[in-house]
Amino acid sequence: MSSGEVSPERNGEMGRRFGELRGVQWRIDLGILPCESSSVEEFRRVNANSRRSYAALRRRLLINPHISKDESSFHDRVMDNPLSQNPDSTWGQYFHKAELEKMVDQDLSRLYPEHGSYFQTPGCQGVLRRILLLWCIRHPNYGYRQGMHELLAPLLYVLQADLERLSEVRKQYQDYFTDNFDGLSFSEDDFDLQNDQVKVNNVSLNELDPKIQTIISFSDAYGAEGELGIVLSDKFMEHDAYSMFDALMDGDGGAVAMANFFSHSPSPQNGLPPVIEASSALYHLLSIVDLSLYSHLVELGVEPQYFALRWFRVLFGREFALEDLLVIWDEIFSLDNSRLSGCSENEGVLNSSRGAFISSLAVSMILYLRSSLLATENATLCLQRLLNFPEDVDLGKLIKKAKTMMDLAVDAINSIPEPSKPRGHRHSLSTDTTASGSPHSIVPESYWEEKWRVMNNEKEEQKQPSLNKVQNRIKGWSEKVKMRLSRTDSAGFLSKGKRPPVRRNLVDDLAREGVTKESLLSSGNGGNEENIDHGNETDVSSVASYSSVNGNEDIKPSIAEEVASPLPVSDRPEDINGTEKPVTNLREKRPLSGKFQWLWMFARNGPEGSSEKDGEVSSDKDGYESEPASSSVTEFDQNIAVPSSSTTTDETDKPEGVDQNKMYSLKDLSQSMLENIEVIESIFQQEKAQTDSVENLSRNAMEAINELRKISNILSERDVR
Amino acid sequence: MAAYRADDDYDYLFKLVLIGDSGVGKSNLLSRFAKNEFNLESKSTIGVEFATRSIRVDDKIVKAQIWDTAGQERYRAITSAYYRGAVGALLVYDTSRHVTFENVERWLKELRDHTDQNIVIMLVGNKADLRHLRAVPTEEAKAYAEKENTYFMETSALEALNVETAFTEVLTQIYHVVSRKALDAGNDPSALPKGQTINVGSKDDVSAVKKTTCCSA
Repeated sequence: MSSGEVSPERNGEMGRRFGELRGVQWRIDLGILPCESSSVEEFRRVNANSRRSYAALRRRLLINPHISKDESSFHDRVMDNPLSQNPDSTWGQYFHKAELEKMVDQDLSRLYPEHGSYFQTPGCQGVLRRILLLWCIRHPNYGYRQGMHELLAPLLYVLQADLERLSEVRKQYQDYFTDNFDGLSFSEDDFDLQNDQVKVNNVSLNELDPKIQTIISFSDAYGAEGELGIVLSDKFMEHDAYSMFDALMDGDGGAVAMANFFSHSPSPQNGLPPVIEASSALYHLLSIVDLSLYSHLVELGVEPQYFALRWFRVLFGREFALEDLLVIWDEIFSLDNSRLSGCSENEGVLNSSRGAFISSLAVSMILYLRSSLLATENATLCLQRLLNFPEDVDLGKLIKKAKTMMDLAVDAINSIPEPSKPRGHRHSLSTDTTASGSPHSIVPESYWEEKWRVMNNEKEEQKQPSLNKVQNRIKGWSEKVKMRLSRTDSAGFLSKGKRPPVRRNLVDDLAREGVTKESLLSSGNGGNEENIDHGNETDVSSVASYSSVNGNEDIKPSIAEEVASPLPVSDRPEDINGTEKPVTNLREKRPLSGKFQWLWMFARNGPEGSSEKDGEVSSDKDGYESEPASSSVTEFDQNIAVPSSSTTTDETDKPEGVDQNKMYSLKDLSQSMLENIEVIESIFQQEKAQTDSVENLSRNAMEAINELRKISNILSERDVR
Repeated sequence: MAAYRADDDYDYLFKLVLIGDSGVGKSNLLSRFAKNEFNLESKSTIGVEFATRSIRVDDKIVKAQIWDTAGQERYRAITSAYYRGAVGALLVYDTSRHVTFENVERWLKELRDHTDQNIVIMLVGNKADLRHLRAVPTEEAKAYAEKENTYFMETSALEALNVETAFTEVLTQIYHVVSRKALDAGNDPSALPKGQTINVGSKDDVSAVKKTTCCSA
């Protein structure tokens, strides 16, 4: 619906008149310079005016009381002296400034150390300091906040890059810059170049590359406004950087005003601080494009603002190297920042094409880390990964992916519910798919283990010769399950003696229902299978549809399909036999409370509780016997163990094989790898036997391969440590 | 994804927060402890950064999730989220800048406003290597720590002095609190009324139940 607004006005690189002058282009995009088609004179005039106002501002605000005292009237001396307690006195302001300056300097001294040769020079530091001071003095309700310096730095940097481009051109086309009528220009150097000049002069200015023409006319000291109007000017770089910074912070009347992200105060519209609001919008979009990843993060308690605060505040400046960042900012700034109309809440901080892109890019970054995030089992590790974005990222791909999500992002922003509803981040979509669809994403972690077991059973039925392997594998599972259980227990934060009440309920419910393993396998597995497949399909199909089209017509059906189709799964009464139910309830409460405040490990324990239904849990008793409070678990284990032991033949000898040590060794990992490989092997064997379920099996193979990939992640992570 | 948990083998999981004024060296303390690295050219922290490390206390593996918060400002909007569930805190000041020590009081107040009363706090005077620039005498800080009933240590992330000890001490103390509390709580977990903050051990669960109406979303 909004594709017209969203599609970038920018017609590729070639369409941009100032493609090679980033500083000029950004000044146009940020609304400081007039639109691209304006005449050079117009540019120069606007430019000169903005510089004038900066100069006036600087003169007015950065006063030194030591200097100004002679002209200030005498009668003020009583009120206005260095010992005055009045904060409004010149001296009071002076000291306030000194304090501010100290704070700014502390950050500036740590600014881009990797580009220290530029940013750490006294000249550059001085320019940056003055700009920040002035902006902060003019915006006392914000003051200086960490991160502002890193928003400013790239702006100055691109102006500098433009000047370097200018000097390149000046070298190459020297004669066009030389005023031959001005006696001063005839220095010795110029005489040396006389020969070249004659050649070049044959080409008139009009025949040059238009880009060169532009640079030359931008630098003509005789143009409109004279020296003050020179668009690329070393002398006025500070002025220009200030106007850019001011426009970026202020948003030029549009939705994305970076200053918002530094504000602590809730916005009057919805009572949320803008960072939180934007973070919610980001998660909302994620929930639309990749529900399973979203659910995983929410389950772990990864609240979006933990990482998005930094992403937004410095507009991804910490996540990418400076050169890459400039490309990203090119994209961001090229998009229109005027508020999108037609939505209930016009005031949203991301409610513009530019904001939609920012949100999409953030989601694109999360998706980039998808597999490593899914392989992560605790929030801290997830956040570590989110805040250490890989350096060798394929930037083009990342941006492309973000662009394909923009229409969805616009819709997501528009569908953020009325603030009065305490629903928090779980915004109901127009189709209301999020709420109803959410349970389908709960995939009990035992999924694979059950799947393996099913295959083992099949194998046994088929009397395949690999019985030894199977036994090994089952042994491996039992160890894993044991380890998980023991971890689950200790993970319930600190006290082994206490068990979170909800978890106990889960356990009790499960025991009460007398779940047999057979029923778990037959129904639970079927349901789960669908769940998982949908989780994957979500991503695959969205990628597919994104890469093919920009229009949203093609995307919408696929999204609707993705989200809607799993619904029957959650409706099944026998689904996961009651373990699912409490979990589902738990999850349904979450959106109501509207918070991301799931407990670190506790939220994890819910689903894990359901995973303990495996028969092998019985082997875990020894891990608890010393703990007085673990009785409920052991009871539960016993309940479960009875029916399950009948299914697999070799269960009884397991406890002996279980290592007390809970440490995961490399051996365990390699064992797991072996198991996965065996799964794939067995699939290939079965594939020959029964061709009817090939599709199913190849899916299994894919899953096993994914597992292998995760192991390799873990191994590499270990190595890093 | 369930089966592989090499990262996650631990008996106890403790969340620690690092707080203190900007530039006192919190991030370097953390990188020294978590990765044994020190970076003279580190950037200022924006928002919060995270690291983990497991150590052994007695015969248990204690995993520390450490939240390193930006010092210059306190992010009001998400402050309580930062502190939520924290059972230990290192309150850092710079021994060469007295003002950072003066602000300790403010930090302490904030900490106590947002965390459980049983939180283990250590006052850490960092940059002890800058001997010629010392502005906060050890005795002054020590006396203050005693008065406020916190642990105290002087460290140097640069020279790797006492960093390990400081973290280990905090984690060990938490461990002791927790194991003692676990015993006190007896073996009937259901006896604990829901919603009541009883000890550090239950903090993570209980506070999250209680506080679902504030912040975030």
